[in-house]
Amino acid sequence: MVPVLEVAERPVLLTSSASAALLDGRGDLTLPRETRGTRVDWGGVYGQLVRLTGPWTVDLTFDGRKTDLPSLWTSAGPIRGGWQTRHRIEGLELVQDVVAIPQPAGVGRRIRFASSEDRPVPVQVTSRFAPFLFPVLVEGIRPVSFRVAPSPTGVVVRQEGFALRALARAPNLTISVDGAPLTDLDRRGAVRSIEFDHTVEVPAHGRAEIQWEIRGGIGRDLEAAEREVGGECVDLDVVGAALASGEQEWLRRTPELDFPDAPELGIAYRSARSALRALYSAPGDGLVGAVAGYPWYSAIWCRDLAVMLPALLWLGDSEWVERSLTSVFRFQSRRTLPILGGEPGELPMQVAPGPIFLYGTSDSTLRFPEVVEQYHRHAGDRGTVGEWADALHRIVEWGRRRVDPATGLFRHGDEAEAIGTATASLARVRYGIDSPDTTIWDSADRRDHAIDVQVLWWSTLRVTERLLRHTGDHQRRGVCHDQADALAQLLRTRYVLPDGTYLYDTIRKGVPVHQVRPNALRAVSAGLLDGPTAARVVGRAAAADLTSRWGVRTLSSDDPGYDPQAYHEGQVWSIATAWAAEAAFEVGDRDLAVSYLRCLAARYAAESGWANECYRGDRAEPFNSCFLLGFSVAPFLSLLFERLWGIRVDALRGRVRVTPQFPTAWKAARLRHLRVGDGHLDLEWQRRGLVANWSGPGTLVLETTEGEQSLPAGTTAEIEFPVKQA
Amino acid sequence: MPRHRVEALLGLARQGLEIAAEFGTHSIEAMIWVALTVEASVYQPGSFVRTPTGVRFILANPPLRTGAFAACRVGVDGRAPTATGVRFRASPGEGAWSSADEVSEDRPLHFRPGDPVEFEAECTDDGRSGPRTVRLELECPAIPPLVWFEFTDTPRRTGTEP
Repeated sequence: MVPVLEVAERPVLLTSSASAALLDGRGDLTLPRETRGTRVDWGGVYGQLVRLTGPWTVDLTFDGRKTDLPSLWTSAGPIRGGWQTRHRIEGLELVQDVVAIPQPAGVGRRIRFASSEDRPVPVQVTSRFAPFLFPVLVEGIRPVSFRVAPSPTGVVVRQEGFALRALARAPNLTISVDGAPLTDLDRRGAVRSIEFDHTVEVPAHGRAEIQWEIRGGIGRDLEAAEREVGGECVDLDVVGAALASGEQEWLRRTPELDFPDAPELGIAYRSARSALRALYSAPGDGLVGAVAGYPWYSAIWCRDLAVMLPALLWLGDSEWVERSLTSVFRFQSRRTLPILGGEPGELPMQVAPGPIFLYGTSDSTLRFPEVVEQYHRHAGDRGTVGEWADALHRIVEWGRRRVDPATGLFRHGDEAEAIGTATASLARVRYGIDSPDTTIWDSADRRDHAIDVQVLWWSTLRVTERLLRHTGDHQRRGVCHDQADALAQLLRTRYVLPDGTYLYDTIRKGVPVHQVRPNALRAVSAGLLDGPTAARVVGRAAAADLTSRWGVRTLSSDDPGYDPQAYHEGQVWSIATAWAAEAAFEVGDRDLAVSYLRCLAARYAAESGWANECYRGDRAEPFNSCFLLGFSVAPFLSLLFERLWGIRVDALRGRVRVTPQFPTAWKAARLRHLRVGDGHLDLEWQRRGLVANWSGPGTLVLETTEGEQSLPAGTTAEIEFPVKQA
Repeated sequence: MPRHRVEALLGLARQGLEIAAEFGTHSIEAMIWVALTVEASVYQPGSFVRTPTGVRFILANPPLRTGAFAACRVGVDGRAPTATGVRFRASPGEGAWSSADEVSEDRPLHFRPGDPVEFEAECTDDGRSGPRTVRLELECPAIPPLVWFEFTDTPRRTGTEP
């Protein structure tokens, strides 16, 4: 049975394009979570991908009794653009609204008091937070020294170039730092907590209100934003309404899916879609993308972004994808930069406002050519092919420099080593993680030629070959074609086990490494194996040592190195479950593929809409896991369109191919409002055929296994399209 | 300044200029903020003390990785890090000491953001003055690769002001 989390355990994540609030939903911005085996409170305010505060709490003193919001909690739930909690103490009712604010990036809290007492009630209110002021990109660092200065409505805290302003709209404000009143002078040094104290007098049968806001990130951006909006608390109702309306408008533009034979997949689709939306990020400095996850991957990680962008294309947001790709390519390294781990042509591992960025992964760069190609097909935009052609060429050249001349295989490992070496003789402190390899399972050493990285390199060559067709560069195109063919041949001859049941995980120092990991399934999905071999690989991956009831493990439980709580040596990852689904679709095992999708859907339902990063390998328990990771929802979304519905969009040529892979027992499925270029396509499938409605400009050619049909704008076509039996 | 440090410094400066030329001066500035913060926020400057039996120091933050660590070793001046003779406490100056060789998966050492941990490691006093190098190694079962941290500083004698 899939364990169901208590509602109270569901974290509350409020996001705007540039900020986030993390809370447990009971009144304070606190969120203790198991983190790599220990418990860390991730509650607080995040602005511009900088963690501004630790937990942010409110205490109340009423009739001489000290209490807090969680102790007085009566109910909670979402409101337009935010989260509301209700609290009661004797004749006082408190209603608190919390809203993430995009500009200036921050979070606002407002408490409204309503009294049924016959006398005025004084309440002493203390708002308390610990400043953090450091990007989450460096896990788990809270700076030890801050500069704190009073401001007309609150306080400004700075740490290097990061800054926050905490402000209040309330009477009788006094501010203290670590218990000592804040004077007019700057205070420098360690700061454990900053307190805002107010005495609020709630009139007999009357109302009172108090509001706080914490905003910030990059100091100069905060100053610029405040020059526009001022230094006062914003109107939370206006901000919340704008957030809600933006959300509704975004949803309205996304497709709707219905699977009457598997309604849980439709529910999971809507859940995953909303979860992915929560990760949208435009944190400043012109950056656009999606945060990898919460709470401790709240930065734009390019590997994760590349996995999320195809899902955004299916959801119809090609504008966000175009802006995200532009952001990433802006930081493509043109030179060798050892202090950042960068090589010419490489794309960053992470980008954040500042701008702060870092290179040093083997696979992030290789994931982008395919996204570029898919973007062109979905948006029907050929213009940026030329703009990005040079960037893609640099990626291919970067990849070629990494090809081992002895093996002809892409070499990875030791990417981040140069960073420490470059600064070792100068730094007073040195630090590192002995993680010599940087594939998607970067805590596992899979050097030198991991199978999934080879598949990515093959895909890079193949996609570049296709894209170069648009630019008319036939010479480069031919070279990519030949290299891709040669690599595909190498993969078939060097990675398939002698008995043909699976693939070696990697080749190290010329010796194949026989570890059963789900990464081999990527070769199946890419279509690199012959049919019988691919089917055997998919069947092997479905065995109980790799596939559990709650998803697919990163390593077989029969492997001597298996550890159920090791991140990449045994834990279950949802992205691996999605890989298994895709490979099963590739070999035509529809029931198996849908069972993997149902497994993911069950996780989303159990987690009330969030999607954990990973689970223990021996039981369905999140461990060392962000409660929401783009990896865990985006591939599921893409699979519903690409594989279950079997859709391939080519808006450049005005064509859409539909080859559904619904299980043989299914009777119907519906898809509405799929964006294709500047138009939208509705599809309704039943066993007897397919009904298509095209609302876009121009004619759309719909291809199926039974032939093709032209759909002029605004027409409906019925195509005889009986599903083939598996 | 030794020649290798001058060369390293010039190399860094060159790369800094290249980054600024390619991505703007803000980028190099922001990355210096990050580097300076990490340098100042893990090892607590001035906390390095020579004790009668060895050395003592405080880490104000986890070195790169938060988590529960099942192994903890300290080495001084290039000697192989060991858990023997190493103890730690979560409340510097007042908490109860725990022995590093008793750290295990069941009794881990917890490192959390902003929660300092004080270490004491036995080592023989060779009478040499000047800077010493301390290396700390940590292993977290949840995410196995070894995390290491090194600093070089001149220890004070116990009871002297930093």
